[in-house]
Amino acid sequence: MTSSRLSKGGRIDRSRSIRFLFDGKAYSGHPGDTLASALLANGITLFGRSFKYHRPRGVFAAGSDEPNALVTVLSGDVREPNVRATELEIFDGLVTRSQNRFPSLEHDFLAVNQLAGPLFSAGFYYKTFMGPAIGPLRGTRFWMFCEKFIRRAAGLGKAGTSPDPERYERMNAFCDILVVGSGPGGLIAAEAAAATGARVIIAEERPLAGGSLLASGEMIDGRNPAVWAREKAEALASLPNVRFLTRTSVWGYYDGNVLTAVEHVSDYKPNRTKGLARQRHWVIRTGRVILATGAFERPMVFPGNDRPGVMLADAMRRYAIEYGVATGSAVTLFTNNDSAYDAARALSIGGVNVVAIVDVRPDISGTCRDIASVAGAELLLGHAVTATHAGKTLSSITVQHFNAETGRVSGAPREIRTDSLGVSGGWSPAIHLASQAGGKPEWDEDLQAFLPPEPNQNWVMTGSAAGYMDTISVMSDAATKGSAKSRLVLPAVEAPMLDSSPAPVFEIEPAIKSQKAFVDFQHDVTADDIRLAYREGFHSVEHLKRYTTLGMATDQGKTSNVPGLAIMADVRGISIPQAGTTRFRPPFTPVSLGALAAERHGDLRPHRLTPMHDWHLANGAKTYEAGLWHRPMIYSSHGETIEQAYTREAKAVRDSVGIVDVSTLGKIDIQGPDAAEFLDRVYTNMFSTLPVGKARYGLMLREDGIAFDDGTTWRLGETQFLMTTTTANAGPVMQHLEYYLDCVWPELRVHLTSVTDVWAGSAVSGPKARAVLEGCVTGTKVDNDTLPFMGIVRGKIADVPVMICRLSFSGELAYEVYCGAGYGVHIWEALLAAGKPFAILPYGLEALGTLRIEKGHVTGAEIDGRTTAHDLHLDWMLSKKKPFIGSAMVHREGLKNENRLSLVGLISLDNQSINGGSHIVTDPRPREPADSFGHVTAACYSPALGKYIALALVKHGTSMIGNRAFATDLLRDKHCAVEIVSHHMFDAEGSRMHG
Amino acid sequence: MIIRCPYCGPRDVIEFTYQGDATRRRPDPASSDQDAWNSYIYDRTNPGGSHREFWLHGGGCRQHLVITRDMTTHAISSVAFARSIVAGESS
Amino acid sequence: MAEPRSPLGKAFVAGDHGNHAAGIGVTLRERKNLSIIQITAWADSIPAVLTAIGSATGLVLQNKPGLGRVAGEKSVFGFAPGRYFVVSATPDLETRLRSAISAELGTMVDLTHGRTVIRIGGPRSEWVISKLFAIDFSEHAFPVAYGRATLHHDIHTNIQRIDDETFDLYVFRTFARSFWLTLGHAAEEVGYRVE
Ligand SMILES: [Zn+2]
Repeated sequence: MTSSRLSKGGRIDRSRSIRFLFDGKAYSGHPGDTLASALLANGITLFGRSFKYHRPRGVFAAGSDEPNALVTVLSGDVREPNVRATELEIFDGLVTRSQNRFPSLEHDFLAVNQLAGPLFSAGFYYKTFMGPAIGPLRGTRFWMFCEKFIRRAAGLGKAGTSPDPERYERMNAFCDILVVGSGPGGLIAAEAAAATGARVIIAEERPLAGGSLLASGEMIDGRNPAVWAREKAEALASLPNVRFLTRTSVWGYYDGNVLTAVEHVSDYKPNRTKGLARQRHWVIRTGRVILATGAFERPMVFPGNDRPGVMLADAMRRYAIEYGVATGSAVTLFTNNDSAYDAARALSIGGVNVVAIVDVRPDISGTCRDIASVAGAELLLGHAVTATHAGKTLSSITVQHFNAETGRVSGAPREIRTDSLGVSGGWSPAIHLASQAGGKPEWDEDLQAFLPPEPNQNWVMTGSAAGYMDTISVMSDAATKGSAKSRLVLPAVEAPMLDSSPAPVFEIEPAIKSQKAFVDFQHDVTADDIRLAYREGFHSVEHLKRYTTLGMATDQGKTSNVPGLAIMADVRGISIPQAGTTRFRPPFTPVSLGALAAERHGDLRPHRLTPMHDWHLANGAKTYEAGLWHRPMIYSSHGETIEQAYTREAKAVRDSVGIVDVSTLGKIDIQGPDAAEFLDRVYTNMFSTLPVGKARYGLMLREDGIAFDDGTTWRLGETQFLMTTTTANAGPVMQHLEYYLDCVWPELRVHLTSVTDVWAGSAVSGPKARAVLEGCVTGTKVDNDTLPFMGIVRGKIADVPVMICRLSFSGELAYEVYCGAGYGVHIWEALLAAGKPFAILPYGLEALGTLRIEKGHVTGAEIDGRTTAHDLHLDWMLSKKKPFIGSAMVHREGLKNENRLSLVGLISLDNQSINGGSHIVTDPRPREPADSFGHVTAACYSPALGKYIALALVKHGTSMIGNRAFATDLLRDKHCAVEIVSHHMFDAEGSRMHG
Repeated sequence: MIIRCPYCGPRDVIEFTYQGDATRRRPDPASSDQDAWNSYIYDRTNPGGSHREFWLHGGGCRQHLVITRDMTTHAISSVAFARSIVAGESS
Repeated sequence: MAEPRSPLGKAFVAGDHGNHAAGIGVTLRERKNLSIIQITAWADSIPAVLTAIGSATGLVLQNKPGLGRVAGEKSVFGFAPGRYFVVSATPDLETRLRSAISAELGTMVDLTHGRTVIRIGGPRSEWVISKLFAIDFSEHAFPVAYGRATLHHDIHTNIQRIDDETFDLYVFRTFARSFWLTLGHAAEEVGYRVE
């Protein structure tokens, strides 16, 4: 246990201390630390247990590529699992917990899984748990038995169950150029781009700009590269045309140069100001993208490579230079390329003791030899690490001769004492976003890595992401990528001359293996799993990935992708590009659901309120949602059930008078010289013959002859109509009408405007309705001559202009009173006052529904996208004098078949309520739903009939009238004997509304 | 995906509604040719590559557009108001 | 005649809200007592309609997408081909327009009761409304007096830029309270004042 804080170095603020908890124990760190660096500084190298085998794991990387060190962050009852300790900035009061261990990290009960190694190899789940049981420990039943245990044993952190009280928000942004990454490439590209005057957004995933410069041993313009980067970033951020976002991870690249990013606005702060979001979800639309996303170092695959203490060489360097942390007291490096020497140089400058460098290559450059000798490290060329050893943490490694040509391990093992091993298997450009944007990555033989594909959107890649591996060439490429006409004077860079080309060695496979060699650390996929997958016939990379789950964990295979492909290519005897690679998909790094939902949490949808909404609530309305609308269901009195309330309300309408808010009906203003002709085409019945000042009930079909919507349309003038639609279909009907005007009949001069929100509507219904109007309407008479059925008059109520149309949904004498929405409450209250002598009652949707069910009027429950006008007994509305939308198809044989469901009424015979959705059957207790010959669309208690009734769609509907059947609800186990009757259950002649 | 509305300029696809194949032609309204109607209502070719489609800019100017879009890459090569295109073709 | 009632109801709370300790980032208010008339020109009569609007209101426009004019309480802007909002605090606006726009030129709909107009102003107004709308509010993309039609999820909104940091948001009345609450929530970060 020997990782520790160095006496100097790092961009941490040593003057201040931060206290935080990890697994219940208090530790301290400094501002600038991540959880990983702070724990390493405290000597902690064990961070978690692995996914399947519960192997002890330490920190492996220093950034978003971290596969092992995932922790759960706790904040009150809220838990956020799978947070990378390498990116989590510590703050006072931070509470974290390791994952996937039971009961504790040190003593993990499920580490016995390691002994059962072969059991959990590739395809374990498929082989063991899929399909029929053959033998006792097989098949789907066995899965059901094992599931609980396996779900506990395998996996990452546990998701929280408490609601997340944090604020998240979305931000829309537009720019000419988005630069992703602010390493040397990103900074120079952004500077060149900004110099052209373009609007530039720079997104940096880490808290500080600089990328590789933050841990580089180079000098830029004779200065510390991190300081140079900070000043460059500050200068850029101060430009008016530049927005510099730090802690912002660009995670998605979509069509049309739309990119998504998450900004960690305040989740690293212990105290947040009011209204500040925890995370901000950026949606950035940009003309051009410059991807300066850098490169990820790759691990080597060798036995024991997952031991805590083994990590990427670059991570080791970053802990030393950026955080002032030595990952060990005697550090060794294992590499196939020159970059580990640069790390060795930085480490020794930072005060870390590098004891040996193991290199698979038989020979290296003089520069590298010099670095090793200055660092005082023993050079073991043509060697490889073939095993690692540990008590609680790494104590030594076994090294053997290695032939890079043949891949053969030979010679006597030699043990080297070391408590921290840095590995470098070469570098993989971070091409994830480019890959998301489309195109196939291209293999570069020289770099032994996939380079970005040919762009098929407007993006370029620069820096190490584009394969430039030294700072000088990164900067000169970036300047031209930022602007083709760039005249930037690039800074002088002092750096050792290193070769960027690694030896093509990915795996060390000794003849005798005593330890597992891991490829995907997060999903516990070993090199042998890949070989097993191959033997079992999974050859393509897509199959390999799914069968072994390689690269499918939360890190998306950032470290494992190329080594996995290399091993697969090797067993297949083909090259890596022949094996191919899978396409990267969003998100590049895990994104919280909160950030995606942004302001849309809890109530996902806006509330749509009628002008009288507050009145309803103040007067006892219980509301429910109808689409986006909130509408009164009932106005309840004390101790009443819903049924009692709507029965009382509906009875008031039949006996005297009631009033209901109908402002939600869709209303469309239709104007123009061709308005009447247009309506003749969209409605099945005639509207050109409708006189001014009258309304007509209309039916619309879809083009295929199925019923679409119904409503009344009022002729307000020779060339002006007001169409009403059902509440639910207001939007679709508008869209339907616009489609025909734009795409089918552009020659018609008709304008459409939604005026749903302009009008408040109150429907007054009941035998006393006229008396109510007579008591308050001025400027017009409302008697039967002036205002006959379907007539329209204009007048005033309480000094406010109103438009009154006499039409009836309830079957009673009824009027719809429309006024400007701002006067909705005014008119509503005036009508109530005028209705007081008649004991007027406001009624809700339940009573409205009851009245219409009694009358057999259809709504969306019956016009359900499957029924025709014939099915609903509305075929009398199909004009034979003119074509209309649907007229060519409505008479198809299949749509008139006697077997179709058609509308009937049902009356309960046993005085029981009928459940909506019940099936109509002949057998009271059917075993199979197949016996059904219809279903209930709406049901209620009818105060007018004194019975429970329903509307239903039933096969051979009309000819079934008079028969008995059962309405059965298998889900709620409710079965009710019913008689099938005409859907006109009350006042079939319609005498009441014409009175 | 971004669609460049000829009136509103570039907008997110979420403001638009797909309104179907723009290559089909509605038969004469008075026609009772069932085959023609059947093909108008139900037959869709779903080609790979370039395709003409109607989109409604419901979240903006509420105009229908005719968009030529590559069905494999989503690249949009032309956008125009449906009214002028349809009127131009039928005259 | 009675005063029309605002749909914002109790959601409208005058005063300072959110993180106002560090200053007021935006100011919100409801513009009341406006006449909002929508005029739609037939495709072949757009220039004639613009002339007629000019003669009725004094606000002269060219035929260019989204173009608008603002003069005090009066404003006009386009948001769809041939379609304009003409807005004024004068009650005779509709009469004046009706005599200027004949049926041959186009059609008129009085949307006064159908829209709620929220004015957002202040140094952070662009930032706050960028949380809700996916359009480019920078001044070169959205110049002063121009109009736009867009949406925040289900809520259609017409937006006119009044000056560099002030916007009028025309939302459908029945959505207005929900939208107002959303807007206030989005503005808490910068501190906001309701007037
Ligand atoms: Zn548009």
